[in-house]
Amino acid sequence: MNAVVNVLASEWIKLRSVRSTYLIVVLGVSAVLLGYALAVMAAGMYDDAPPQQRLSARIADLEEVVVIVPQLCMGILGTQAITSEYATGLIRTSLTIVPRRWPILAAKSTVVGALGLITGATAVFGTYAVTRLVLDDRFSGAYTGAFADRLPLLIAISVSVPVFALLGLGLGALLRSSAGAIAIIVGLVYVIPMIIGNIPEPWSERLGSVMIGALPREITGDTITTSVYGSLLPPAAAAAVLASYAALPLLATTLLMRRRNA
Amino acid sequence: MVRRAADPPHRILYGVIELHRLTKRYGDALAVDDLSFKVGPGHVTGFLGPNGAGKSTTLRLILGLDAPASGQALINGRPYTSLSRPMHEVGALLDAHAVHGGRSAYNHLLCLARTNDIGAARVTEVLEQVGLAGVGRKRVGGFSLGMKQRLGIAAALLGDPGVLMFDEPVNGLDPDGVRWIRGLMRSLAAEGRTILLSSHLTSEMALTAERIVIIGRGKLVAEAAVAELTAAYPSLEDAYMALTASSVQFGAAR
Repeated sequence: MNAVVNVLASEWIKLRSVRSTYLIVVLGVSAVLLGYALAVMAAGMYDDAPPQQRLSARIADLEEVVVIVPQLCMGILGTQAITSEYATGLIRTSLTIVPRRWPILAAKSTVVGALGLITGATAVFGTYAVTRLVLDDRFSGAYTGAFADRLPLLIAISVSVPVFALLGLGLGALLRSSAGAIAIIVGLVYVIPMIIGNIPEPWSERLGSVMIGALPREITGDTITTSVYGSLLPPAAAAAVLASYAALPLLATTLLMRRRNA
Repeated sequence: MVRRAADPPHRILYGVIELHRLTKRYGDALAVDDLSFKVGPGHVTGFLGPNGAGKSTTLRLILGLDAPASGQALINGRPYTSLSRPMHEVGALLDAHAVHGGRSAYNHLLCLARTNDIGAARVTEVLEQVGLAGVGRKRVGGFSLGMKQRLGIAAALLGDPGVLMFDEPVNGLDPDGVRWIRGLMRSLAAEGRTILLSSHLTSEMALTAERIVIIGRGKLVAEAAVAELTAAYPSLEDAYMALTASSVQFGAAR
């Protein structure tokens, strides 16, 4: 047990001792500014619209829109946490001084997961706060509802961010290359949902339901018909799928790592 | 921390590296072929061989980075991968470039040290020992190869191990650095440590090593005292050339 704590301390030093970590966390949290800008724009459009249009005006949940920024940032952070070691060769030293190997992945998962959760929650809750301040009771009071009603969705969206961090780490460790891992992550966020949105039903809805973007709403049961994703999964299944995105690449690489030549 | 001869050793440093019929294949190619030898304490053992002879692969097998096809490598009678805090028993420098350029020398060493329960005070100590104390807070990306070699040696020394392995540590060092490393190797050996030093520089080996292991095409070519080789041949270099003549794979005609 003590050994795992030591490796954890080591991985935390690795993360906090390079500048890119700070850059990418700041970039991830800056999603709040994007949310603020979108809210100000929406408020302006709402105020300029004739009263008749205002009644039917709707606004997307901005937390869900801007979370793509911390998702990508933390996906890159997770990837870099391991691929930078493969690129420099430092991984051989790391594996030499921790011959059991798996504690390294466990420790990396813990530190990038924790940093991902903090970054994600800051971005999501920050966006909620500024949007609520800016919009006030516009859009039929979309942002004036009770905070407690909104809380489960905000938590679920926040949790999707460390999932990206762990997915990045797992893919980075499997592929040992940041280019490949980051390409898959960008594909999962942008490309694949777009393709799925354009294939015939029922497959568009079915596949759309297992995309990461669909899962927070399915987990909270707070599904909307205008979503670009599907909404077929019950909460427990959606939570399991979200956990699988984080866990499966990491489990696969843990099993492989034991035998692979370093 | 330079231990003077008068200081009693604070623990027994006696260490042995043993290879028993070690074999490693990459596909059809035999990188290490039925290799057996033993490295004992108290002197520097030079590890020589032509390019591609399998020196680095052998070191990687000893460190458990690669798994052998058959045979085994033991450190103090145990496979390396069974050591729970290996830095206290074995220190190794394989590749001086294997550092993250954005990290300071101090932080680089600290994150290595922490995994094996080694404190920050020891990090400062080894930085002083290798002459990098003044640049400890500088980022490693700006280091010359010679400075990176010193940093790699510092990392190997962190756990004050009884067994040390260095792969080409002299590359990139200036004459001052070469002399420093020669002195360091000798003093580490004089403290009773077991030192395996891989290098192409036979002239340097003649000055530093007491025993020599030569491999070629993954096989053992010679295992002898430097004195025996220099008695049988005009110089260690001549001995090396004669012994490896049949196992050079990549070289000009000679």
